[in-house]
Amino acid sequence: MNFSRLDWTVLVFTLLLIIVYGVYRSRTSRNLEGYLLSDRQMPWWLVLLSIMGTQASAITFLTVPGQAFSDGMRFVQYYFGLPLAMVVICISFVPIFHRLKVFTAYEYLEQRFDVKTRLLTSSLFLLSRGLSTGVSIIAPSIVLHSMLGWDITSTNIFMGGLLIVYTVSGGAKAVAYTQQLQVIIIYTAMFLAAWWAIKMLPEGIGFTDALHIGGKSGKLNVITTGVTEKGFDWKDRYNIWSGVIGGFFLALSYFGTDQSQVGRYLTARSEQESKIGLLMNGLVKVPLQFCILLIGVLLFVFYQFNKAPAFFNLAQEQTIKQSANAGEFATADQRYQQVQDEKRKTVVALGNALQNDNETEIDQLRSKLQLQQQEARQVRDSISNIVKKTIPGSDGNDANYVFLRFVGDFLPNGLVGLIIAIIFLASWSSIAAALHALASCTMVDFHKRLSKRAATPLQEYRWSQTYALIWGIFSVIVAQFSYNLGNSLVEAVNILGSWFYGTILGIFLVAFYFKWIGGHAVFIGAIIAEIIVISVYTLDWLSFLWLNLIGAVAVIIFSSLLQVLFFRSSASAPQREKALPK
Amino acid sequence: MSTIDKEQIPVFKKWRHWYWLVIGFLLVLVVLFYCFTKFFA
Repeated sequence: MNFSRLDWTVLVFTLLLIIVYGVYRSRTSRNLEGYLLSDRQMPWWLVLLSIMGTQASAITFLTVPGQAFSDGMRFVQYYFGLPLAMVVICISFVPIFHRLKVFTAYEYLEQRFDVKTRLLTSSLFLLSRGLSTGVSIIAPSIVLHSMLGWDITSTNIFMGGLLIVYTVSGGAKAVAYTQQLQVIIIYTAMFLAAWWAIKMLPEGIGFTDALHIGGKSGKLNVITTGVTEKGFDWKDRYNIWSGVIGGFFLALSYFGTDQSQVGRYLTARSEQESKIGLLMNGLVKVPLQFCILLIGVLLFVFYQFNKAPAFFNLAQEQTIKQSANAGEFATADQRYQQVQDEKRKTVVALGNALQNDNETEIDQLRSKLQLQQQEARQVRDSISNIVKKTIPGSDGNDANYVFLRFVGDFLPNGLVGLIIAIIFLASWSSIAAALHALASCTMVDFHKRLSKRAATPLQEYRWSQTYALIWGIFSVIVAQFSYNLGNSLVEAVNILGSWFYGTILGIFLVAFYFKWIGGHAVFIGAIIAEIIVISVYTLDWLSFLWLNLIGAVAVIIFSSLLQVLFFRSSASAPQREKALPK
Repeated sequence: MSTIDKEQIPVFKKWRHWYWLVIGFLLVLVVLFYCFTKFFA
């Protein structure tokens, strides 16, 4: 990829802007409340941007267009459960967190159950989030290494180091204010890229024609039911049912019990502003995700008129060309280009038929295009298999590289630098919130809770900064090791998160809705649920999205049974609830 | 908790209204997306 002087200027300027702005806006009270919760002074719109910035990692912006390019737009259904989850969180979670003035979500669990349940839940969070934060750093570094040839270690240290500077120095306030700017720059750059893709379509092919071509190639499959000739496919990841039900539980656990999100809306200046931020997030998320996916479809249409690489990961393509499988790859590549040439003729004819509104011809060309599309997919699958057998540890998936390859090959100088900048910004945005959450839990749930020595507010502030620094360094080290373990680790860690989310959510649901269940029952119930979740995953019965539901339901069932059978006489929740401040 | 909820509901008087709004919003989106899929297919 050609990275010009103008691109470097845009990249450096954008990154410096964020860091300077973060440090400038980071002045806050030097105590725990100031550092971890920004003195609870944030307006709802900043909470909203902070929530959005935390959820969207760099890999989201790289993967989502690639996802639409290869699998169509049905991925948007993954977010259908999110708006409903926001309402439930506003009713059940937010009032309690605000009433108790907690710093972390897990603090509430000690007041509701006991200290061991709080520490278990906080540990599950630290384990999953600690590892996934490392991968959040390595994933974009791998992409930048592949596309620009940047050294992995230097990119990791550069990406992690700059982020640590403003996160450690500024705390929650720096995280929120930089996220505000990051989200604005990210969405602006993405829409500029989409506009450029439309602009580069052949003359006479406009936005609507592009949608017709995408639709007739099967890429605008926004709503799917998951029902096949053999009945409902439980392993189908994205359909309306897994999206509404599985997505609801996933969003409930992520926004209700993951400290990296809870920490965002606890910074709001009032309970009301926390709720407005969350509800607005529920309303804007699906349309925004739809737009990002549409960029992938536009790229797909763009590549129908322009030469598309058979495999989008440039670095891996070059490795294969120098391997023993080079001949096999060249044959598959040649076949792919033939299919692409045939497709191009069909697409051009389809464009003409659409302009002439010739229904019969449109139908014929649609069928022809779909057959060619199927053939192209088969050739790409065979190339994916060549990649897998040539490069150990590779999953043969090039979805992460589709958007960046387009950026590198076709976007003008300056815009390339801006797109590379948004990879950094999106990474920072989610990692900063994660580091901050890890520091909060370590400080509040472990250090402050277990330490016998009283500390001054300034000492607590310093300790929080130290923990943020330690977790930052830990993440950079994990990122370095992750690279050695291969690309598939990115997916592995996502799945690792779904192992724990369901159980953590189950503990919170019991806390809110099953007042008669006590700490011993929920503690053992959570451990049993965790074993069940890991077993279901190991036996490969269902898609990982359902693990959240299974984990949550298992905690409720087992803790109920244990309470009834073994702990009926132990202190019940209503008695503990009386001790909570009103 | 119910007394607190009554005091702290954004925009509407009852949470039920938010449920209706969100479910209605989702239904509109699903119908629009379905029409979008069919129209361009």
